[in-house]
Amino acid sequence: MEEGVDISVEFGGLKLANPVFTASGTCGYADELADFMDMNALGGFITKSITRKPRKGNPTPRIVETDSGMLNAIGLANIGLDKFIEEKLPALEGISGAVFVNVAGETINDYLSVVERLAGEKAIAGFELNISCPNVAKGGMSFGTEPAQVTEITSAVKKAAGEKVLMVKLSPCVTDISVIARAAVEAGADALSLVNTFTAMVIDIEKREAVLANRTGGLSGPAIKPIAIYLVNKVYNEVAKKNGTPILGLGGIRTASDAVEFVIAGASAVGVGTANFIEPGCAVKIVEGIRKYCIRNKIENMKELIGSLK
Amino acid sequence: MTDNRSVLGKGVFESVVCSNKQIGERFYRLGLEFSGAGAEAFGGVKAGQFAQLDLSGTALPTAEAIPEDLVDAARRGIILRRPFSFCDVTRKDNKTRVEILYCVLGPATLRMTTLSAGDRVSVIGPLGRGFTVPEGKGTALLVAGGMGAGPLLHLAKVLTAEVPRMDVIAFAGAQSKTELPFERPLDEISQNLGFSLGEFADHGVRSHVATDDGTAGHEGLVTDCFSKWLGQQNLAAKDTIIYACGPEAMLAQVAEIAKNKGIDCEVSMERRMACGIGLCQSCAVECRVNGSNRTIYILCCEDGPVFDGQEVVFGS
Repeated sequence: MEEGVDISVEFGGLKLANPVFTASGTCGYADELADFMDMNALGGFITKSITRKPRKGNPTPRIVETDSGMLNAIGLANIGLDKFIEEKLPALEGISGAVFVNVAGETINDYLSVVERLAGEKAIAGFELNISCPNVAKGGMSFGTEPAQVTEITSAVKKAAGEKVLMVKLSPCVTDISVIARAAVEAGADALSLVNTFTAMVIDIEKREAVLANRTGGLSGPAIKPIAIYLVNKVYNEVAKKNGTPILGLGGIRTASDAVEFVIAGASAVGVGTANFIEPGCAVKIVEGIRKYCIRNKIENMKELIGSLK
Repeated sequence: MTDNRSVLGKGVFESVVCSNKQIGERFYRLGLEFSGAGAEAFGGVKAGQFAQLDLSGTALPTAEAIPEDLVDAARRGIILRRPFSFCDVTRKDNKTRVEILYCVLGPATLRMTTLSAGDRVSVIGPLGRGFTVPEGKGTALLVAGGMGAGPLLHLAKVLTAEVPRMDVIAFAGAQSKTELPFERPLDEISQNLGFSLGEFADHGVRSHVATDDGTAGHEGLVTDCFSKWLGQQNLAAKDTIIYACGPEAMLAQVAEIAKNKGIDCEVSMERRMACGIGLCQSCAVECRVNGSNRTIYILCCEDGPVFDGQEVVFGS
């Protein structure tokens, strides 16, 4: 580490070596990205969504590129809890950063059965509660758009999570994201991650059909970054700052400059998502870029930067 | 059976463009050269494997050079890499040269046409599972539809080099003569000897051509031409293997023909993919589990793009 620059951050009671995570659903279960970068160089890592039972996912096409972004409708395809524990968890123990398991389900009991089984695992630092997936018929985003449901699921999972950090991932597809953020924080969320993807659609004009088999998908990538910055800043000012709740900012981060922008808006940490698809290993470059930014701007401690928007 | 994955690990490598030649109205062959670790990694490429090219920073052609049907698409910026397999791979003096056969279809391939010698292109690869090179088979039948000819040209080279006693015969189809992605039609004498396409003849491989409109070779679908030819032969099923690459409907028919004859069959599938390395989960292919009716989705990028033709649920 460069002398005089501390880019470590506090995050929901965890001390992270740096503020950079790879975002859920864009970095598999860590083994896939390990060919391209040192996973230990990250502040944290978030697994793709785990559900109680394996999920096949949606039919194809599951993605389509858009101007400065892409739509996906994977449908939470994953190997399920049992296989995750058996095949993937042992390798996660070797990761020095904070490992968060993203949890999804169709019912509150689905979420609870995953969290209860994993709450005692020492490889895991915390859970990211996915109540904002736009691509499944049941569960997913439906839990994340009604404040009363957010309260119910967050408080139930908080009890099951025990000592682990509980981060709630918010959908931007709501009337007022601060209302949802407040419900999560008041129900016991230790951290918030925002934003998940925006529900969107692309139409093939020759066929007059939606390009995605699921018809709609979640928009991610640079196209959503300015909206995500705005929403992080809004939640920081209206909810997170006064409650001391850290925010993991995500939405279109490709560069260290993007990451710093999120931190200035109020994020304590950032998640790199779609950019992993294009440049696997870019998250490590972002860590280095943040360090250089701090040196250049004579910022001795990352904390000075968080929410420093004038 | 030999391992159908590259021996050395995948990675992000910089390549240098050495050629980019137009070989038809919409067809090009791009040559990329790797040195150092990239040369090692791509020197071990198996036929049917692929790579992801970053074309996001590549310039558009001039307005006059943009085909009418791509004028709107050309205005769209691209961010994702694009997957391509190889039609040829050669190693020389610690360098590896790969050739990519491509067709101008959208904003990325349109940009690709402006690449010229000396330009640099970031490439992730080698990726996926390629075709199996069988030991102990006497005949390999290659069935290509349109752009599917690319990886089968590479396979023809590999098979004739690695299994010298094997008889390799290719079938190439397209809608019409101008849609055949080949540079060199052969003269009448060669054609009478069964060598219709220069690119396959280079490897000593005989070839049959089919066009939907009959402007070249057999009139009709390549699968009909192939099926008819197969019916006239007396090949031992166990001694034969079929490889196919092309539109999914064609692959489904080839797999069906192979099943009826009891011949092993490998098909190279195509899916939209963002990453190519198993992260995005978008390139799912529905496959049967152990010949049962139960199906699962597996990834075209990691478990494919080459699959056992009897495993795939086509059109899913």
